[in-house]
Amino acid sequence: MNPQDQHGRGHPRAKNRRSRVLGLLAAAITLWAGLATPLDPAPQRAEAADGRKVLTVAVAQSVDSLSPFLATRLVSTSIHRLMYEYLTNYDPKDAHAIPGLATKWTPSADKLTWTYTIRSGTKWSDGKPVTAEDAAWTFNTMMTDEGAATANASYVANFRKVTAPSPTKLVIELKKPQATMAALDVSIVPKHIWQGVTDFSKFNNDKSFPIVGNGPFVLTGYKPDSYVRLEPNKDFWRGAPKFDELVFKYYKDGDAAVAALRKGEVSFVSGLTPAQSASLENQENIKVNDAPGRRFYALATNPGARSKDGKRFGDGHESLLDEKVRHALFMAVDRETIIDKVFQGHAVEGQGYIPPRFSTYFWKPSASQELAYDPAKAAQLLDEAGYKKNGDGRRVGKNGKPITYRVLCHATEPNDKAVGQYLKEWWGRLGIGVTLNCLDNVTDPWLAGTYDLAFDGWSVNPDPDFVLSIHTCDALPATPDDVGATDNFICDKKYDDLYRRQLAEYDPAERADIVKQMESRLYDTGYMNVMAYPNAVEAYRTDQIKSIQTMPEDAGNIYGQDGYWSWWSAVPAASGESSGGSGSTGVVIGVGAGVVVLAGAGVFLAMRRRSTAEDRE
Amino acid sequence: MTTEGTPAAAKAGPRTLARQRRRHLAVRFWKRYRTHRAGLVGLAALVLFALVASAAPLVVGSDVSSVTGAPGRPLESPSGEFPLGTDRFGRDLLGLVVWGSRVSLLVGLLAAVLSVAIGALVGITAGHFRGAYATVMMRITDWFLVMPALVLAIALASVMSRSLGTIVLAIGVTSWPTTARLVRAQTLAVESRPYIERAKALGGGHWHIMTRHVLPNVMPLVLAQTTLMISSSILTEATLAFLGLGDPTVVSWGGLLQEAREAGAVSSGAWWYLVPPGVAIAVVALAFTLCGRAVESVLNPRLGVAR
Amino acid sequence: MTADAASAPVDKAGGTALAGPPARGPRARTGASYLRYSAGKVGGAAVSLLAVLVTSFFLFRLVPGDPVKYMTGGRQVSAEQLAAYRREFGLDLPLWEQFTSYCGKALTGDLGTSYQFRAPVIDKITEALPNTLLLTGTAFVLYTALGVFLGTRSAWRHGRLGDRLNTGLALTLYSVPSFWLGLLLIIVFSVGMGPVPGLFPTGGMESGGKEGFAYTIDVAHHLVLPVVTLVAVEYGQTLLVTRSALLDEMGGDYLTTARAKGLRDDLVRRRHAVPNALLPTVTLIFVNLGRTVAGVILVETVFSWPGLGGLFYQALSVPDLPLVQGLFFVFASSVIVMNTLADLMYPLLDPRVGR
Repeated sequence: MNPQDQHGRGHPRAKNRRSRVLGLLAAAITLWAGLATPLDPAPQRAEAADGRKVLTVAVAQSVDSLSPFLATRLVSTSIHRLMYEYLTNYDPKDAHAIPGLATKWTPSADKLTWTYTIRSGTKWSDGKPVTAEDAAWTFNTMMTDEGAATANASYVANFRKVTAPSPTKLVIELKKPQATMAALDVSIVPKHIWQGVTDFSKFNNDKSFPIVGNGPFVLTGYKPDSYVRLEPNKDFWRGAPKFDELVFKYYKDGDAAVAALRKGEVSFVSGLTPAQSASLENQENIKVNDAPGRRFYALATNPGARSKDGKRFGDGHESLLDEKVRHALFMAVDRETIIDKVFQGHAVEGQGYIPPRFSTYFWKPSASQELAYDPAKAAQLLDEAGYKKNGDGRRVGKNGKPITYRVLCHATEPNDKAVGQYLKEWWGRLGIGVTLNCLDNVTDPWLAGTYDLAFDGWSVNPDPDFVLSIHTCDALPATPDDVGATDNFICDKKYDDLYRRQLAEYDPAERADIVKQMESRLYDTGYMNVMAYPNAVEAYRTDQIKSIQTMPEDAGNIYGQDGYWSWWSAVPAASGESSGGSGSTGVVIGVGAGVVVLAGAGVFLAMRRRSTAEDRE
Repeated sequence: MTTEGTPAAAKAGPRTLARQRRRHLAVRFWKRYRTHRAGLVGLAALVLFALVASAAPLVVGSDVSSVTGAPGRPLESPSGEFPLGTDRFGRDLLGLVVWGSRVSLLVGLLAAVLSVAIGALVGITAGHFRGAYATVMMRITDWFLVMPALVLAIALASVMSRSLGTIVLAIGVTSWPTTARLVRAQTLAVESRPYIERAKALGGGHWHIMTRHVLPNVMPLVLAQTTLMISSSILTEATLAFLGLGDPTVVSWGGLLQEAREAGAVSSGAWWYLVPPGVAIAVVALAFTLCGRAVESVLNPRLGVAR
Repeated sequence: MTADAASAPVDKAGGTALAGPPARGPRARTGASYLRYSAGKVGGAAVSLLAVLVTSFFLFRLVPGDPVKYMTGGRQVSAEQLAAYRREFGLDLPLWEQFTSYCGKALTGDLGTSYQFRAPVIDKITEALPNTLLLTGTAFVLYTALGVFLGTRSAWRHGRLGDRLNTGLALTLYSVPSFWLGLLLIIVFSVGMGPVPGLFPTGGMESGGKEGFAYTIDVAHHLVLPVVTLVAVEYGQTLLVTRSALLDEMGGDYLTTARAKGLRDDLVRRRHAVPNALLPTVTLIFVNLGRTVAGVILVETVFSWPGLGGLFYQALSVPDLPLVQGLFFVFASSVIVMNTLADLMYPLLDPRVGR
């Protein structure tokens, strides 16, 4: 400890002390060596010591609420899908509506009354029977209580009355015909539990576990930003899930989640970057699932924000009101490069509004209307529109000032920032400036219309009604003070007529045809320019998950499906393949870690004690 | 301060005298500084980085940051063509690290200057004008001192639009109180000296005293403080950029790290994306710290720490 | 935190980063004067806390974004409904009334309701606070111990190779961005690199499903890497302050006197130099503790630690005003409380004062 014994006096304690330190050091070294040795190169298995099969899913998004009346985030609604049955579900093969809680649903002749037959004999996880009354109560609560309407008000907006004449019969009366009645993605909650709730806007359903439900899983534990645990519902009518436990575990950092997958700490990771998926591709026991996604990734232009009462607001650039300019801008966007460089092949080039995955509704522009990449033609279009270059090579607006567009991007979305840099250079060559305005929360400029262009993207449901509805004039806010359902203030009469027709069309083929006409119209306006359909890039451990249902069945995705298919269907890998005893490895490491920490504290205390002892000499 | 001037050359005019004294001081400063090996190493590193940053436009040019003109495939590992590999766009990382040094150094420098300028202003005025003004200013200083600076900087940076100016401002206005305290103490010490009394008696106004007597005497301290502050400003800049609060179209070291993380470089083993910017940050921060410590120990030999 | 701009890695700056210069503390010879001194310090702290309460309210009103519009999440909402929401959260009142009601409630421990989680802010904070305290507390104990230990050693061997290496390493680690170090540690020790197997979890605080002792072990296992990161970037400052304080003391006349009395050299140092030199260190230690709680944001982000830092970042992007305010208050008050504790302890520890 004290090598500076200048006076050369004998130091009886020095040796003592040194040996003690050496002992501690030795202990520490042994510990660390001990940490390393029992580690098998084979990954740990995500299974508890007692051999329970646990399926662990890495998630990043925080749960906003466990109450289905409040939750809007994908992670929360996905979990609700597992906890509560909806009236209907979607077939995993082609996403057509199939029975869920309801076994049958029929419209009346005047299209205004729908009658659902509720499955008999199913039970809530506390043993009480599930009846039509539960469903009626759920819908009625959403229609009458403002707090309960927080998340899903749009589903019941067109409902006139909901009744349950018998335990197996649910009747919904509508104000106007609605073709989407087999696509009501609403969690039906147990009335006997929920009727005691006084304030739905504040009740988060996260205080007493297990949470009573009737889905394939029962939620048994939740710790914010740590985990959500679910156990299989043994009495689930479609059959119990095969894993003994399903855990959603939090990794705020994508890299941490991937690393955990490599080690076998988690069974499944979604949202991989191209680099991550490339590095996992050749990994043993890991399967990368690169599936066509359900999202479109678009460049929206501000068509001049307005409300239904005709008032205009916002400050979108006036040049964008010219269709030629919008077309020119999109023609200067090299979609192939975006797919190749930004998505590195994990996306499909954008065409129509609805991704090709939904083949019923997928539409492509004809050769004559297609806005293919052609910067020369784009420059020509801009010249024609009267936006010519000035002496500095900058195009000037009608007010004589050089044009600079503000592009709104999500700071949390790496692709926005990457594509934004390309736009800056592509449009720069056209003579147009770009300011990339990246925000954590774009809601305010978005709703106020204070942007010129924006990165936009929506997940499309098997029934496209919602993503179509957000471009109708009806979705505009009533006044500038209201918030409309509109996406970016598009209001086009031709599109609206088509929208009304498809909503009242109960024949699927006819309806699909009208939807395609809508997509064609939307493409021509140049307000929503779809650049790509990003793939869902996910990976899972094959030594933990033997098989899992993708949706659609061929080349489909796993996380965020329309339904509970993936987690419900997952079959655990046989334990024979396990490296064995890894649970204890974890414990050994843990003990080691704990001891190291304690040793550190011990050294500190020992020093303190020693110095006082010294002083007593 | 280390010297009260030399009792020499009474015949020379006061200006010449002052200039002489200053030159003398500078020489002495350098002589002492030279004895600090760590300080010299830091200084050498800084000179090197300054050269690299100022030569960057000639050596690599702004083309390195162009995404459409990227020469390689995304995330290529180091090779003869790309000594440090490529980034997520296929740009040459060596070039980007060199190019990024400009922004990182500039932001670090400006933020530190802003911070020290605020600190010096508050410190000198609070030391010179006593009374209510000083009390209020020092209350504010104390209050800023207990504010968690990083939290405050994050809050400020997210309030304003994403730009370099925002970052400079966010760092500058949250990191000045330490300087203010140091400068005030020094000002009080200077003003208690007899020649200030004399200057006052000869009719020197507040402005005269503060700029002609106090400022030259606090200047060394301010310089030392600036050097140290640059180090922490560079780190804070990297931190803010890493948290996604920087301008995404500007290449900086912190921004590169954030891009690397977003691209998944950590888990896909693309260490070349992650290591060089971090090393650059650490080396520059360390170099400024070493210089700052050396300067401080020259000015205040009693500390005798950095040797 | 490394990036904490106000704490330059200089012995002097570290020492001055205090709310009040304790060196000018009381010549407290009697208990009564100490009481008066403490009352003053505590009173000052109370004023500071109030000031923080005020600032956190007004500062975050500047954050752009209408929380009500965020809450409605792009759904169709009428102006009346928006108004109803504003009423519910008290956002329709004049700023001044919002402020008084905020202060009144804050005094009773009610910090409002989080917009995004629809839960009382105080609940969200008490959920996350123990996690942050566990992380920072462990790191704090270790880096203080390490810093004091190495700092003492370094001062002992002043000017020798060991001292140079020691201070050099401390300064280098101090210059390393903590998030970067964390990422590297994850690559090497979590993912595994070359011969090094992935020893530690990549993030989070627990694997879940464990109870009792196994749970403790599990948490400790998750704690290792974030703690190592924090210790690495933080211990340097303690080391440097301890070292320079000791060097200062070692030049003191009374040490020469003590030596002249024939006391053994190292005994002189231990008995006289160390206790005195520990004073600036002790104050720095407390200031650091307060700072660490606030500065842990980055490490929590990198290691997905479910603490206050992550919560703050999440809240700021909404902006979830009540939560942001509440967290800011917690961060700032932890610094204030620790500074005050340092002030209160100083006269008790200073052998030249009192006793």
